[in-house]
Amino acid sequence: MEATVLMTIAAAVAVGIPALATAWAQSRIGPAMAAALAEKPELNTTAILMIAIPETMVILGFVVAAAILFR
Amino acid sequence: MIIEMSKVRLLGPRDQLPRVLRVLQDLGLLHLAPPSLALEPQGLGRAQLATREQRERRHLQRIVGDIEAAMGELRIAPAAGRPAGSPAARDITRWARLAWRTRREAERLRLELTVLDEEKALILKYQQFFSAFRSLLEAESRWPHATAYHVLVRGSDAGAIPKLRASLAATIGSDFEIYTHPLASGEIAVLIIVAAPAAARVERLLAQAHVQEIPVPAEYGGGSLSSAIPAMLTRLGEIPATVARVKRRQQELAHNTGQELSRAASALHDRLRELDVIPQTGVTAHAFVLEGWLPTRSRSTFEDRIRRDFKDNVAVSEVSREEWASEDAPVVLSNPRLLRPFETVVRVFPLPRYGTIDPTPFVAVFFPAFFGLMVGDIGYGVVLAVLGLVLHRVSHPNSTLRTVAEIIGPCALFTIVAGFLFGELFGDLGARLGLKPLAFDRHEAMIPFLLLAVSLGVVHILLGLGLGVASLIRRHPRQALGRGLSGIMILLVLLALLAAVKVLPYAFFTSAVIGLLVAFPVLIVLEGFVAPIELLTTFGNILSYARIMALGVASVMLAVVANRMVGAIGSVAVGLMFALLFHLVNFAIALFSPTVHALRLHYVEFFGKFYSPGGIRYQPFGHWIPARPGA
Repeated sequence: MEATVLMTIAAAVAVGIPALATAWAQSRIGPAMAAALAEKPELNTTAILMIAIPETMVILGFVVAAAILFR
Repeated sequence: MIIEMSKVRLLGPRDQLPRVLRVLQDLGLLHLAPPSLALEPQGLGRAQLATREQRERRHLQRIVGDIEAAMGELRIAPAAGRPAGSPAARDITRWARLAWRTRREAERLRLELTVLDEEKALILKYQQFFSAFRSLLEAESRWPHATAYHVLVRGSDAGAIPKLRASLAATIGSDFEIYTHPLASGEIAVLIIVAAPAAARVERLLAQAHVQEIPVPAEYGGGSLSSAIPAMLTRLGEIPATVARVKRRQQELAHNTGQELSRAASALHDRLRELDVIPQTGVTAHAFVLEGWLPTRSRSTFEDRIRRDFKDNVAVSEVSREEWASEDAPVVLSNPRLLRPFETVVRVFPLPRYGTIDPTPFVAVFFPAFFGLMVGDIGYGVVLAVLGLVLHRVSHPNSTLRTVAEIIGPCALFTIVAGFLFGELFGDLGARLGLKPLAFDRHEAMIPFLLLAVSLGVVHILLGLGLGVASLIRRHPRQALGRGLSGIMILLVLLALLAAVKVLPYAFFTSAVIGLLVAFPVLIVLEGFVAPIELLTTFGNILSYARIMALGVASVMLAVVANRMVGAIGSVAVGLMFALLFHLVNFAIALFSPTVHALRLHYVEFFGKFYSPGGIRYQPFGHWIPARPGA
């Protein structure tokens, strides 16, 4: 296979798998935070941050993908 | 910054205590605290509320409850007053009666309005349906001794009507009539009139066929629709006038009692506060002791007032710094006007402890900077600035909306500046119009952008570690040294990396590695075996700043895609519409996502290095101030 094709696949995997992991993590955090907010509405900022925390995975995945494609 | 506090002690004869408390309430400066335990062996005890005072407290709480309920019902905005002295007993009795009566009357009026609203809604709900029968009522009036049944049939079941007619004919012969009228909803109103003797058989027939008869509301002429419809329409016409009368009565009540209730609320709250601070007073048989904190800059004002009012009868002295712990002192954040809106961002966390660092000035610089770098577009920045101006115009001073508007301002400014650095105006539209980037094009140069983001992370994290050292150096010097050493090790790793990629001369690599080898065991000695893990976490924190690049690139990519829609989809007009829509979506994402991630970089990465939460809010003993609506 050509190097470009392999690099493209690698970049896709680098961003795709963390994206799935982020989605899974957020799917668990979302309902938990919704339940917590029903009891304690003052936790709204914490809720937003909690949702944002797993996004680190896909963001770093994106950075790796960019590094593969634009090195 | 956290302003400097002083702890003071007041000593005086016990009979002067009520007067002293009133003066302190007028001053509104002293955050009271129970007297030090060190004084207890000298015969000092905590003052207790006398039985009479406990009864008074309960009584006043009840009256305040009535006043607040009445003011809430009548939407009277509370106003803070400054009552002269304690309220007289006859005033309290008068206020108690007024509050109770007003509350009862206000609740009665509210209930009346609710009933009228419900009645109106009910009539309107039935109106369309019953008015369909109006045209059929003439037929009903021609059968004075007959029984009428009002039935609703779905449009799709229209075929059931001839069957019903046939069934009725088979059951009771010709002693009935059926009239139908189609409704706007597609249903059919059916009126069945039968001779009175046959009514029982018809009812059985309808029940067997599961046909639901529409009930006539009992309060409008019993079971007869012919008398109910005119009664309902008359009532519908009367309701607005009745509602207006009730609302007028509410306004009159608010006008007649508002000022007095407001004055009562203020005086009674003040008296309750006075009673509440009594248990914070230390007393002996003949003397009292009060202790509390106040801002150091206000101490002379405080002492002058006490000296003026009590001469030598009450002594004020400063409690030496060695006698109190930092964590017991209350905290007041005080920042310049421009930085103050960012205190809101810090206040999401519990207040910082006294003696530590208020991160507001740093948040005021780095939050808009991170936001600006992520959005980085002149066009979006201008739209954001306009949005901020509009919010500023429509909001009240000191409201949450005004704070948001004041935060948007610097964010918009940094977005525009970053837009010039990256040469972006609504994505690549600027480039098409000849705009050149002053630094680099984010669209193309992702690696330089990544390096910029991570470099910012290094600066931010090192700043956090530096602040951690400054914050801990007095209380926990060992931890402070550990933080400092972590910062130095991060710098050494950076030097080694830069030397390895030949940005710096190779000699730096050897020196940095030697430095790291020396620093590592020292770090373990200072902070234990968790130190290497914490150091790795710090590196992870630095890499986390890569999100600035990731979100920035995502933002510019979406904007570029939006611009490419012009010409790509059918006509230019359609493409333009789609492009605008896409830019709108991108702008909405740009408002939300960079805000969340800039907050996260502060709360998780930056604050984690130095922030010490758990500060006590400065709540000076003063006159009651009603809560501001919308604040």
